Amino acid sequence: MAAPPVSRLNIAVRIGAAVLGGYAFTWGFIALSVALLFAARMEFHDAETLATIVGLLLFVAAFLWAFAARSVAIVWTVLAGGGALMAGAATLVQRALT
Amino acid sequence: MRDALMLLAAQAANIAGLAWLALAMPAHWEQVCGRSACHPRAARLLRAVGAGALAVSLLLCMAVDHPSMASLVWVMSLAAAALAVAFTLAWRPHWLRVLVRLSRG
Amino acid sequence: MFQNLRLTMAWLHTWFGLVLGFVLMVVFFFGALSVFDREIDRWAIPETRFEPQPMPSFDKVLRPVFESMQPDPGQIELARSRVDGPMATHFPVAKTWGAYTTHRDPVLGVFAGFELPNAKDPDDIIWGTRTIDPRTGKTLPDDQLKIGSQFFYPLHYSLNINWRELGTWIVGFAALVMLVALVSGVIVHRKLFRELFTFRPGKNTQRSVLDLHNLTGVVALPFHFVFAFSGLLIFGGTYFPIGHTQLKPLHDLHEVLESQETGLPHERAGVPGRLASVDAMMAEAQRRWQARGMAGEVGFLTVRHVGDANAYVSIYRAGTDRIALTGEGIHFNAATGEVMREDPPPTVAQHINTFLTGLHLQHFRHWTLRWLYLMGGLLGCVCIATGFLFFVEKRKRQHAAQGLRGARWVDGFAVSAVTGMLVAALAMLVANRLLPADLPGRGDWEQYAFWAAWALALAHGLWRTAPVAQARIAPAWAEQCLAVAVLAVAAVLLNWVTTGDHLGRTLAAGYWPVAGVDLFLLGAAAMAFLAARALRRRSGVPSASAAANAPSRSEAARA
Repeated sequence: MAAPPVSRLNIAVRIGAAVLGGYAFTWGFIALSVALLFAARMEFHDAETLATIVGLLLFVAAFLWAFAARSVAIVWTVLAGGGALMAGAATLVQRALT
Repeated sequence: MRDALMLLAAQAANIAGLAWLALAMPAHWEQVCGRSACHPRAARLLRAVGAGALAVSLLLCMAVDHPSMASLVWVMSLAAAALAVAFTLAWRPHWLRVLVRLSRG
Repeated sequence: MFQNLRLTMAWLHTWFGLVLGFVLMVVFFFGALSVFDREIDRWAIPETRFEPQPMPSFDKVLRPVFESMQPDPGQIELARSRVDGPMATHFPVAKTWGAYTTHRDPVLGVFAGFELPNAKDPDDIIWGTRTIDPRTGKTLPDDQLKIGSQFFYPLHYSLNINWRELGTWIVGFAALVMLVALVSGVIVHRKLFRELFTFRPGKNTQRSVLDLHNLTGVVALPFHFVFAFSGLLIFGGTYFPIGHTQLKPLHDLHEVLESQETGLPHERAGVPGRLASVDAMMAEAQRRWQARGMAGEVGFLTVRHVGDANAYVSIYRAGTDRIALTGEGIHFNAATGEVMREDPPPTVAQHINTFLTGLHLQHFRHWTLRWLYLMGGLLGCVCIATGFLFFVEKRKRQHAAQGLRGARWVDGFAVSAVTGMLVAALAMLVANRLLPADLPGRGDWEQYAFWAAWALALAHGLWRTAPVAQARIAPAWAEQCLAVAVLAVAAVLLNWVTTGDHLGRTLAAGYWPVAGVDLFLLGAAAMAFLAARALRRRSGVPSASAAANAPSRSEAARA
């Protein structure tokens, strides 16, 4: 790979999507899953465990997708946007319960 | 002592099992037997015997430990066995000829 | 990113594998050594070379120790930023006392958590720890560093960089990249099953190195994946502290509900209370486990709300015969010794969690599985190291022809990360035997020896890989292999000279912790020596080996 046809900027944006976007998506997923599972009467730490297991696998998938996808804009939208939406929903569920 | 012997037998079964599975592949058959092709029926037999040996190994592991530990021992023993088979094929492939005879007999 | 998925995955695997590979080398190597961390402790602290002991009497041995404990000076320093106002000199309120032991521990680690006066966070705790001889209750000096469990082991999950847990975050990111590298590697390696047993040491270096990289990566693929994954799960609360931040209200609600449900008080009553005989509680716990068909040893015990009327004692069974670390907790009223609660059987989620974390933390008794784990960890190291070697081999001729220096620098850092790391670990063991027994801060000096040796190995490595820029083999590898061999033999000899526990004696007595470490060191020395010899031979006759490896390209580079 002496001279990749991809620009440095594109690579940087993809790395950002993978790391930051992936993290945001995973945080939102875990938060919402814990809130919903707890609302469904699962024990809090059990909910955290299950949500973290699935969340970590999603993080790996998101990371790979950030590079495999054709459009990095779509990746950023889904990961960061999706993460924010899920986190927001988690707080709403929490407000309803406490 | 009994446990140690059973685990040793499980490891041996894994090595034999993976060796038989390797022999079912044309490239490795050539390395060990020198002939260019292995009859398809013989290859199927090798795969069956190989899989059987791996199953025997798992049973031996389960006879020694709690199932949660036995499954880990078996998986790790498979890794060690695969390494052993790969190194034998690389440096002393003729050592595996005895397994070819065993699979037939 | 590129035209097809395989190209993209190859790019991802190469560049993220290269950069994080340096961190992963440390994680896998010291993780592998940590399988035998307590045995390495025995080697490093000769005073602890006796048989593993069960949990001692609480009333006679542990209680006096707990009552005399205060937070560690190091912890007090770290806590300065967590208080408003002056740092206290005395910490009168102990929130928790705890002791944990396994079937491999001669000495016992005990800990106490204290209320932090003037703390910004009212729930903050400051910790103190002690190591005692359970046979006598005598405290071991702090200066004696447990090289296995207090240095190599934390090195593997935190790089011993404790500032704001930065090291733990770096390792976490490296673990994530490991998972990405495994998946991308599988996608790239088209002939995964067909080439499962393929290893061609006779072919050119680039091919045999790649074969070995694929072999060590694939045969232990479940191991590599599950260890990286379970490691991330163990620190999940650090990487995603959701229950302590965004969902703290929900977490606090849960704690109140749980406290109501279990009957175990969440807060202190504020009224002093006595502590009944904990030995009687331990005996009762063991009786109950036996009645359930799960007879076992006490692995872990804690006292909560120490000295208060709401205090309770929790006793857990050691998970020696299964994957879970501890379990079957029974909770006693501290003042009366009555059983308040027996933990119910684990839920499905708890089973999954204890299986994954217990699999990684390995407190079970199974020596065969331990040695297989060590093999798995070392296979991971070989996978990463051969990754570096392949990167360099693939590019060095091209770079030499174009006057680039990329391959040369990667090789320099690679030798420092592989053999240099071995040199550092061995230098620490040698220093452990050479330093005076009563040197104050001995443990700190051993750590300086480790880092200084690594820095030297780095400097040597960077200097002696210059020939790579001309597409030749770097002498650094053979030279550091020789250093590894010499240091390993020196460590074994020094153990003999300074403690008298030579292999003849330890093998005859069947004292495997020390015999095992000595044998492993000698085995490593033998392999390092053979490697050095093979490398010298390979680089000794450049034109002949070049002709065997890659005729046209290397000769063109040299012309």
